[in-house]
Amino acid sequence: MIAQSEKVIEVKNVSKKFKLVYDKPSTLKERIVFWNKSKVSYHEALKDITLDVNKGETIALIGVNGSGKSTLLKLMTKIIYPTSGKIITKGKLTSLLELGAGFHPDFTGRENIYFNAAIFGLSAKEIDERIEDIINFSELGEFIEAPVRTYSSGMYMRLAFSIAINVNADILLIDEILAVGDQHFQEKCFAKLQELKKQHKTIVIVSHSLDSIKDLCDRAIWISEGKVEADGKAKKVIDEYLKVCG
Amino acid sequence: MLREIYNYRELLKTNVKKEIRGKYKGSFLGVLWSFVNPLLQVLVYAIVFPYIMRIQTPNYLQYLIIGIIPWTFFITTINQGMITVRMNAGIIKKVYFPREILPLSVVLSGLINFFISCIIILIFCLFGGIGVSAHLLLLPVIALIQFVFTLGMVFALSAINIYIKDTEYLVQFILNMAFYATPILYPATLFPERFRWILFVNPMSEIIEAYRAIFLYHTFPDVNGMIYLVIVSVLVLAFGYMIFEKLKKGFAEEV
Repeated sequence: MIAQSEKVIEVKNVSKKFKLVYDKPSTLKERIVFWNKSKVSYHEALKDITLDVNKGETIALIGVNGSGKSTLLKLMTKIIYPTSGKIITKGKLTSLLELGAGFHPDFTGRENIYFNAAIFGLSAKEIDERIEDIINFSELGEFIEAPVRTYSSGMYMRLAFSIAINVNADILLIDEILAVGDQHFQEKCFAKLQELKKQHKTIVIVSHSLDSIKDLCDRAIWISEGKVEADGKAKKVIDEYLKVCG
Repeated sequence: MLREIYNYRELLKTNVKKEIRGKYKGSFLGVLWSFVNPLLQVLVYAIVFPYIMRIQTPNYLQYLIIGIIPWTFFITTINQGMITVRMNAGIIKKVYFPREILPLSVVLSGLINFFISCIIILIFCLFGGIGVSAHLLLLPVIALIQFVFTLGMVFALSAINIYIKDTEYLVQFILNMAFYATPILYPATLFPERFRWILFVNPMSEIIEAYRAIFLYHTFPDVNGMIYLVIVSVLVLAFGYMIFEKLKKGFAEEV
């Protein structure tokens, strides 16, 4: 760890509040008529979190539902922005928050690879270079020429995961999606993640399958009610977590 | 910012393609509709105005077409652009990409459509005995100004529409009025003198008059008008972009 302590993600004193509005005013009339009446309360999903992610680390974010793990991941991707504090990232970052976001059901698997990879910021040339790898990894065979709406949910997930994992990002953020496909495909996903780890890619995973994470990750961060409860060696933190929440 | 858009150029390209093809997907004539539509509109006005309202403008058909086609570029782009952020809620919530791509691809697809539609104008000019002149070389310049102006509007409106949904309906009404406050159907001289200043303030009248100058009158567009246009367009773009940048951070939570 000491040899390669280049920070790729810096989270500095980050807090995130979500507005909880009952009867959200969305039209002008409602805004004018009820301008001081709407009950606004805030839910503080993250409370003053500070942490660094170093290059080449594989980190698991663990915690019970609603503890703020996914919010943290979304903040790192810059889909949402912190209420206060700052997040700095370095290098190409790809997030897998939901598989197949942006898939178009009427287009074929192959066409969707182009469209989806474009959302991840790849150029046509880069996609051409990778398309065979993506198709092979997905094991879809001839179904790749069929419209995505005809896919089973497993096939859909396999295609989406294959695209995302072949984007060749420096930082990969993954949210609860490792339960993809059958046993065979899951093992393949983990093997691919191990391979990326060896290439010194930075990986942050949110997951509840603690056993598989324990093998893959070096470090785990336990988040509880919007705060970092524990941060350290994966085995230690996960055991601690299991003692309290298991 | 520009660098980021360059990195995501493939996304921009696929989005522009989707924007052009997607709208008429499934219809028999497909993309052709984007050219047939303004032509049908021209047909209606070409019957109504000379014969019923007795407007006597030389080369009225060409006069009309040169007004309608840039106007169609303007309003279809505003209408599609205004809702583009909302329509893409699904990917905005799940994936990071430069949000500017969305309004940009709508206006770019409008521009491409417009250039293709210019062929229709040319056909009417050639067969109507008006011919063409070297002034046509200014077409890209005027189109670029219109592009800048429209992009600024779309930046602002697409972002505001996420927070205040009335924007869509309000803008519809304003566009409807603007259609009659622009010399599209009738020449500026028919406008009551007291209200004629509206035409000079309205950037779209300046733009359409500029197109008429190069297509129909074979002259240079009015220099003062063009300077005014450039200033207004750049200001609108700067202001619209500022609004978009300010509001875009909340898109994923608000849509």
